Amino acid sequence: MENGKGASPDKMLASYGADRSRWARAGYVAEGQGSPEAEAEALHIDKLLDLASRPTVPEGALARMLAELPAAQPATVIAFPPRKTGRTPFFRYAALPLAASLALGIYLGAQGDLDLALPTAITGAVALGDDPADDLGGVGELDAYAEDNVT
Amino acid sequence: MTSDATTFGRMTDGGLLEAAAAQNRAAFAEIVTRHYQPVYRLVWRMTGGKADCEDITQEAFLRLWQNPAQVREAAALKGWLMRVASNAVIDRSRKPRHGDLDAEPELKDPLARPDAPLDRAEAAQMIDARIAALPERQRLALSLVYFEGLTNIEAASAMESTVEAVESLLARARRSLKESLSPQWRELLGGLMETGR
Repeated sequence: MENGKGASPDKMLASYGADRSRWARAGYVAEGQGSPEAEAEALHIDKLLDLASRPTVPEGALARMLAELPAAQPATVIAFPPRKTGRTPFFRYAALPLAASLALGIYLGAQGDLDLALPTAITGAVALGDDPADDLGGVGELDAYAEDNVT
Repeated sequence: MTSDATTFGRMTDGGLLEAAAAQNRAAFAEIVTRHYQPVYRLVWRMTGGKADCEDITQEAFLRLWQNPAQVREAAALKGWLMRVASNAVIDRSRKPRHGDLDAEPELKDPLARPDAPLDRAEAAQMIDARIAALPERQRLALSLVYFEGLTNIEAASAMESTVEAVESLLARARRSLKESLSPQWRELLGGLMETGR
């Protein structure tokens, strides 16, 4: 009956009609009267609604319904293995090699000398001894070129 | 079978649902016996008495038979059936039909013959026709609460709505009926008094 608090009779008449048993079924306390107009109108509408047809179930309908059952078998439930919660994101597969590379990089960097880890082509004469100390990467040639061509 | 019927006749809807889930036909037959009439009446009211009300009612029960576990609260079985049936009515009404005789409303408005006095059956037809012309949510609220006697809470649950919304729909339905029938009020109610009701 808690929803009966504060409900105005006119509002109840408009929704549930004049029959107080409907108010009670809806959980409202049947207290007080609505305005005479609202009471009369609700009563008229109730009477009109009472005139409506009361349809009856066609003969044999229940039997026909039950005869339908064998054709409509209960749904077959196929047991699927439970799906893993949350698919492993792609980056997680790459995380281990990346972490290993990082660890290796840090280790080698901490050693201070990368020569052992790098190919000879880089660490050998090509990289370290190819240019004479006085040749600054062709700067000398540039100077010579410039002097020759000064007019 | 008779002892089955007696046993199941005493069971609650919850017990029947459990048995039906185990594919017990006698238990399901008891559910059908208990709830077929109100569901059929609701469908009839919602469709305006069209010929396919039996099919729609069957559809609601077959859905229950196929998966009784859909009903989460056994106490609300009637409301669940009402909801499934009314949704089936609404779905069908929205499907386009071509050349289907069922698309023709069976309810005739007796006002088509204004010269003849209304008898009880014609008055009923007129009211039915006006109810059938209400918007579907108003019709559903009126059918559930007024004609099927559901409480406002049960009706709100069946309509997946709130009690306040159901009350508003009821008030609007009643007001619409009053407005559409006001020219015939006197005749309708006068006829009613003459027949002793």
